[in-house]
Amino acid sequence: MAMALPDSIPMRWQSGPLELATRQKKEGFTAQAGQALQYWHTPAALDIVQGSPVNCLVISWAAGLAEDAEQQRTIRPLVDAARQRKLDVVGWVDGKADNNASIGAAQAAGLTAVAIQGFTGKSDFPVLAWGDRAHAPWTSTAPVLPVTDNVWPGVAGGRPDATAGPTALPWLDSNGWFLQVARARTQTPLWIVFDPPGKGEVVPARSYQTAVCDVEIGGGRWVISLDDAFRAGLAAKEAAAKDAWTGLASAVAFFVKHPEWKAYKSLGAIAVVSDFAGENYDFSGEIVNALTRRDLLCRVLCDTGKELPALTGVKTVLRADTAAPSAPIRKSLLAYVEQGGFLVAASKWGSEGKSIPGASADFDVRTLGKGRIAVAKEDTSDPWDFVTKAQAHLSHADDVAKLFNASASGGFTYENSPDGKRALLQLLSYSNYGGGGRGGGGGRGPNAAGGAPASVPLSSLATAWTRHKYRGAQLWTLEAGAATKVELAPCEDGGTEYHLPSMSAYLALDFEV
Amino acid sequence: MGLEINRRTFLGGLAAAAIPARATVTTPTAPVAIAKCKTYAESLPVITKLMDQLGGLGKIVKNKTVVIKINFTGGPTTRLGYLSQARTYWTNPNHLGAMITLLDKAGARRIHIAEGADSPFVSLEEWMYKASWDVAALKNAGPRVDFVNTNIAYPGSKPYSRFKVPNGGHLFPAYDLNTVFEESDVLISMTKAKEHTTAGVTISMKNLFGMTPNCIYGSGAGGDEPLKMPKGGRQQILHGGRGQPPKSSLPELDPNSSRQDTYRIPRCIADINAARPYQLAVIDAVESMSGGEGPWSPGARPCSPGFVFAGTNGVTMDAVGMALMGFDPMAERGTVPFEDGDSALKLAEELGVGTRDLKRIEVIGVPIAEAKFDYRAVPGGVYRRGQPRQGQPGQFPGRGNQPAQPGQIPGRG
Repeated sequence: MAMALPDSIPMRWQSGPLELATRQKKEGFTAQAGQALQYWHTPAALDIVQGSPVNCLVISWAAGLAEDAEQQRTIRPLVDAARQRKLDVVGWVDGKADNNASIGAAQAAGLTAVAIQGFTGKSDFPVLAWGDRAHAPWTSTAPVLPVTDNVWPGVAGGRPDATAGPTALPWLDSNGWFLQVARARTQTPLWIVFDPPGKGEVVPARSYQTAVCDVEIGGGRWVISLDDAFRAGLAAKEAAAKDAWTGLASAVAFFVKHPEWKAYKSLGAIAVVSDFAGENYDFSGEIVNALTRRDLLCRVLCDTGKELPALTGVKTVLRADTAAPSAPIRKSLLAYVEQGGFLVAASKWGSEGKSIPGASADFDVRTLGKGRIAVAKEDTSDPWDFVTKAQAHLSHADDVAKLFNASASGGFTYENSPDGKRALLQLLSYSNYGGGGRGGGGGRGPNAAGGAPASVPLSSLATAWTRHKYRGAQLWTLEAGAATKVELAPCEDGGTEYHLPSMSAYLALDFEV
Repeated sequence: MGLEINRRTFLGGLAAAAIPARATVTTPTAPVAIAKCKTYAESLPVITKLMDQLGGLGKIVKNKTVVIKINFTGGPTTRLGYLSQARTYWTNPNHLGAMITLLDKAGARRIHIAEGADSPFVSLEEWMYKASWDVAALKNAGPRVDFVNTNIAYPGSKPYSRFKVPNGGHLFPAYDLNTVFEESDVLISMTKAKEHTTAGVTISMKNLFGMTPNCIYGSGAGGDEPLKMPKGGRQQILHGGRGQPPKSSLPELDPNSSRQDTYRIPRCIADINAARPYQLAVIDAVESMSGGEGPWSPGARPCSPGFVFAGTNGVTMDAVGMALMGFDPMAERGTVPFEDGDSALKLAEELGVGTRDLKRIEVIGVPIAEAKFDYRAVPGGVYRRGQPRQGQPGQFPGRGNQPAQPGQIPGRG
């Protein structure tokens, strides 16, 4: 079987005795969920994904438990049937499983590959090294890089700050910032692994579309994972579950049709430069997150010890790594400043430039060439504090795109193609309002009656503003089969404004430069 | 004719007179100057003329520190249809720039631009940038201009200052405000004349309601000390009385009083205008909106009244403003435009701020009858999804998207 994992659509396929053994110990596990795990262990369950974009099953393979052998024995019919349907099958190895034994068994069973945490050994059989966000194996040479420890995207629920985070706005859980960082660190396609909220909660259908879009917008691919009730509903062929699955699959199919978008890069006027290693991952990663929360579009550039690419269009560079930069990075950033750029740096940056007395309470602001450097007077351990203090220097004055009357949305990205001929503004709603519940009225959203996701009206006449004036623009939604024309809106402030229609989970404005 | 009073003489006069609370007394009056203004391109000459008519700006601001309270209600990306906030429900930057220029010429020592900007924007400039304002143009309109986010602490050793309400107050005995309002000799109120869904109207006095810092009077405040960063708007404490400010501030006078916002907000407006009265107001009705104070108001629709007016007393200004908007400034609760709540004008009058009796207010310039624009008569509305489209979305009725010519707007006298 030819392995085409970089382009595959993976789905976490939880089934069998191994899943049963681990899941039975968890809160909220039900007999119905157990029956679903058994059903999904049978070849008949493959009919669920028939006709959908899913072409890779990520099955539970080994966890270092007594049930490993039984799992691998009983799943063979499913694996064989999947192979007949030309589906890839990846065995997920977790816990204290014996890696060599897991690899050998996978090879014997005809799997496409196994995924092993932090795998660095040698193997003739394909092994996907996976890791959590902070310990992802960035140097892996495997065709894809699975990363765990991600979040279920949406308005943060069940947290003390669910209604008012540090921003005084509802805090959004999103994987967008991590994907920006990850894409700066590796060219390898990213599999983003996360499950729906636990404890037996029924997740609205709309949330699954949001999960797909949240990852795809960021340039990654979600390893689709369904909650217990969803799996049970599909096993029982319930209409609401099937409708929800159709909605999820259509969202995936939409992005499959636009693979070129994954190569697009942010047009943000702010660049965050860091090596994202160790503590710097936590700190600068959270800075990217905080900037996103303030609608400050940013680019992420990884400090690899080599000179940075041209910082065309970048108005401000933010480098919060506390250690002094490497010589090539220093050279790149100083050249950027001397040509008129603005650098905000941690305290140990260096002494270049001439101080401007009293320019800032928190930064020593200096002139250098045509530009300026703001060096923190003292370092902080709180990235939110750093961004707050730097806010005056990370100005919305340099915004390249913004939304008006679109508060129902949760966030947006604005990128251009590698050849610079196209640009793309993607808008995602994290709201579950009218979100199409599922499972016999068990939905948590206001619309718990099941059915297709409802349209969410933006607050009024919503528009997207871009500083750049484009030759043309078209609108994409998950629902429409083809792009449609975008209405221009009156614009008083220069640039161009585009009317945004009602949206479900997602819409995109596709610009011709 | 000179400016009749300034803050110090006004407060001194109050103290000397020892006016008992809610007594019927001869409340102060002050003139109001009115001018027609068709477009914001005329801001500078029109406001210059208004200041001259009031006796000259130099008398009030020369060698003084000035704070201009502008109005940024709502969010920086929330617009009425396609129309910018500056044209419909915020202070207009052309007006503000003109005022800064005139203050500089008149010898103001320092000019603070003040408004409460919520986190995460932190700085007022960011709020402006987000709304596509040209901040540099404002800074260049005069030297010594800075921006103060009054929702948070004022930099320095005294973040907040206490302002006692003369005669006891209606809702609170005193308010803790950003120290910029104490440090400044002169307070100027600059906003638009609009209807208000809770207060009936929002003219020069309601603008000062926004001086209350959200770190003290915002949702999530409480405890012992002010918050470092605001967690929400004023709905919880000031609007709804569902909580008290932190212990570092004085609690409300009667926690058993009505929790209705239509009772509380007018009283709060009156209190603040008595505690920290302004010395000058320049109110914009060149372009505005009717039906409420912002795009979120039911029936919100843009309009072009085409006038500007200025004065030195909160109540006399708002009384003339109400008349210009087609309302009776003597209106009581239950009548237009106070169908749902109390009149802040009447409550402020009770505190001795000023008179709302038009017969006692000198009007300079264009007579009220000539400039009057009936806000309630504005037809049409902004297209909203799910409702029949009426006219073009977001356009001013009857005139496309350009400033109106007098008489073009239906209902105009």
